[in-house]
Amino acid sequence: MSSTNTALSAEAESLIPQLETALREGELSVPMLPEVAGKVVSLSQDPDSDASRLAQLIQGDQSLAGHVMRIANSAAYSPNGSMVSLQQAITRLGMNLISDIALAASISTKMFDAPGFEEHIDRIWQHSLTTALWSKEIARICRRNVEATFLCGLLHSIGRPVVLQAVIEISRDKQLPLTREDILILESTYQREVGAKVVDKWEMPKIVCDAVLHFDNYEEANLAKDQTTMVNGGAQFASHVLDPEALDLETLKGLPVLADLNLYQDEVERLLDMKDAIASTREAMSA
Amino acid sequence: MSTDPNEFDLIVIGSGPSGQKAAVQAAKAKKTVALIERDKVLGGACVHRGTIPSKTLRENALRVKHMRQNAELSNFVLAEDTEMATLIDRLDEVLLAHDDYMQRQISRNGIERIHGRASFVDSTHLKIEKVKGETEVIKGRNIIIATGSFPRTPDNIPVDHEHIFDSDSILSMLYLPSSLTVLGGGVIASEYASIFQALGVKVTMIDRYPRPLGFLDEDLTDKFVHNFETSGGTWIGDTIVNKVSWDGLSNVITECEDGTVVKSEKLLCAAGRLANVGDLKIENAGLSLNDRGLIPVDEDLRTEVKNIFAAGDVIGPPSLASASMEQGRRASCNALEISIGKMNQMIPSGIYGIPELSSVGLSEQQARDKYDDVIVGKALFEEIARGQISGVQDGMLKLVCDSEGKKVLGVMVVGEGATELVHIGQMALLADADVDIFVESIFNFPTLAEAYRVAALSVIGQRSAGTNAF
Repeated sequence: MSSTNTALSAEAESLIPQLETALREGELSVPMLPEVAGKVVSLSQDPDSDASRLAQLIQGDQSLAGHVMRIANSAAYSPNGSMVSLQQAITRLGMNLISDIALAASISTKMFDAPGFEEHIDRIWQHSLTTALWSKEIARICRRNVEATFLCGLLHSIGRPVVLQAVIEISRDKQLPLTREDILILESTYQREVGAKVVDKWEMPKIVCDAVLHFDNYEEANLAKDQTTMVNGGAQFASHVLDPEALDLETLKGLPVLADLNLYQDEVERLLDMKDAIASTREAMSA
Repeated sequence: MSTDPNEFDLIVIGSGPSGQKAAVQAAKAKKTVALIERDKVLGGACVHRGTIPSKTLRENALRVKHMRQNAELSNFVLAEDTEMATLIDRLDEVLLAHDDYMQRQISRNGIERIHGRASFVDSTHLKIEKVKGETEVIKGRNIIIATGSFPRTPDNIPVDHEHIFDSDSILSMLYLPSSLTVLGGGVIASEYASIFQALGVKVTMIDRYPRPLGFLDEDLTDKFVHNFETSGGTWIGDTIVNKVSWDGLSNVITECEDGTVVKSEKLLCAAGRLANVGDLKIENAGLSLNDRGLIPVDEDLRTEVKNIFAAGDVIGPPSLASASMEQGRRASCNALEISIGKMNQMIPSGIYGIPELSSVGLSEQQARDKYDDVIVGKALFEEIARGQISGVQDGMLKLVCDSEGKKVLGVMVVGEGATELVHIGQMALLADADVDIFVESIFNFPTLAEAYRVAALSVIGQRSAGTNAF
C-alpha cells in the first residue's frame, strides 16, 4: 500500500507508519461484532434454527425488538400495520428478512466513535444498506446466490468507519492536527484492507471476506468473483439512486460492471423498475 | 466467399457443445463463420450451469462418501455449515481451463466470436444486440440454431433462486442445506438428489412416475433407489405435487395430491428443460415450434427453412452433450454440403448419479417389446474381484441378447465406472459381435470389465444346452 500521497498534509504522512503498523500487526481497534448480530448470523447459518429462537434472540435486545417491530409494521412490509408480536412478524415476513433487518439494525453507526464524522458514517451506512438491497435483486436476475449478497453488500464498506475511527484515535494520541480531507483520503486508501480484516475477525463466510477485499477489482476475487461483481454493480445502482447527479442514469447504464454482469439493457430496465420498492424497503429498514 | 465483414458462410447461434462443434467444423472447411454467444463466456449451460459444475460437485461428493465409508481410517466428519464453494472448489480451475481451451480453438480456427443476443430479421439476417444496447445486423448464407435449453418451471412452483431453485441456480446455494426436496425423476433430478444425499443432505425425491429414470430397466433403477435410500434418501413415486411454497420461516412446504406434506430447507425443481428460443424471434425467419416447444428438424437437422439448421437441446431428445456435439458437426456439414455418412443412432446415455448408470442399445424391456423372446445375462459387482477390492459392490452389468443368445442387443450398467464401462459393450454392438466375444477376449484382471465375461457366460449358459464351452 502506498505510503505517500501528494494530497496528504505532512501531519497525515507522519501518521501513516503507525497506522500501517497497527494494521499489519492486527492492533487496529476493530469494533466487536455486536453480540446480537453475531448470533443472528450464526442462527441464519444454522440448519436447525427456527423462528422461535430468532424471536427469543431479538427479544433479548429491547431496542432491537422495538426497531424490528417498527419496520415490520411500516408501510413497505405491512400496509395495515397490524402486527402485534415479534413471532407474528417473523411468520409474516420470513426469518431471512427479519435476520436482514436485525443485522442491519444491530451493526450500525453507533458502533463507531468518530467525532465530527457521524453524518459521513451515516451516509456510508445508507449506501451500504442500499447496495445490499440492489445486490440481492441483481443476484436474483442473474440466477446467482441471493442469500449471501445482502451480507456482502451490507459489509462491503465496513472498513471505512473503522479506518476513520483509527485515524482519529492516532491523530488524537499523537496530537497531529489532520484536515478533514486528510482523514477522508486515508479512509479511502486503507478501507478495503481494513474491511477485509474486520470481516475476517468477525468470522464471516469466506465469500463475504473475498467480496470485501476484492470489491474494487472484482475480477481478482477468486471464490467470490460473481458475488463481488454483483455487489459492485449493486453499489453503482445505490450510488445512482442516492445521488443521481453524481452518477446519472446514462453513466450508470454505460458502466463496465453492468456489462461484466452480462446485464442486457432490458434487464437493467427491469432492475430500475424496482427503484421505488427498494427505496421503501431501505427507508423502512433504516427507520 | 464474401468480403463483407458482416456476411458469413455460416452463423452459429449458441456456443454450447453443438454450437461449438458446428462452428469449428465449418471453419475447418475454410468457410467464414460467426459464433454468437449471449454470455460473456463460451460453453453454454453445459459448461457453466449444468454438466461440468454438477460433475465437479459429484467428484467431491464421492470423496466425502468414500471418506465416510472409511471412517475408521480418516475419522471424517463433514462440517455442518460447509460452504458450497468448498465443495466445488476445483470448479473455477476446471471452467478456466475449459474456457481457455475453447477460446484458443475458436481463435485458432479464425471464427468470429460475437458477444450479444441474436434475433432473426429474416431467414438470412440476424440482429445482434450487444450487452450495452448497440445493435448490428449480420448476414449468413446458412444459420445453425444451437441455443440449448433452460429449466422448465411449472406454474405451481414459485422458483425464487433463494429457497426454491431450478437446475441452473441450485449450485449457487451458499451453504449445504440440511434438507432438500427434489421434484422430478429424470436424469437431472436423479443426479442432484443422489449427489446431495451422498454429501449428507436429507433428500426427498418426489415424482409422478412410480420409479425414477423410467427409460431404464427396473432392475437398474431398483439398484439406484436402493443405494439412494440406504444412504438416507427418501423416494416418493406415483405422487402429484399440488403446491410448493416458502413458509416465510425456515421451510419450503411441498403439498402433494394424496395429502403428503414434505418440509425441507431448500427445494430443487427439475421438471425438464425447454428449448431456449425466447429471444430469437424465429417467426421472422418463417420458423415455428412444434407442440412440444422444440424446433422440428429432418434427419439432416434441417428446419422447415432450407438454409436454417438446428442442433442440440433445441431439437429435443436425447439432449445429451455427447449427441449434441455430433449433431452440431453434422448440421454444419449438411449446411455446407460436405459429404457425411449416416449418423449412428447408437448413442449411449450416462447418468452421473451416485451410483452411475449407463446404457447403450436396447433395454431389456425394449428388446422384449420388439423381439418377444430375449436372453439376458447379468453380473453383480459383488461377485467381481475388482468390485470387492474397491468396495464397489452395489453394481450390476446386464447384457441383453437375441433369443438365440448370440447377438448383443443392449448393454446396461449401474455402479461406479458405469459411464466408462458401457463403451466396451458399445464397441461390440457396433461391430455386430456375438456375445462370445466377451468370453473369448481377455481383459485385465482384476477389473470391473470382468463383469462382461460373467454376464456373457450367463447368456451362453442359457442357450440350448449341450454344445457350449464354459
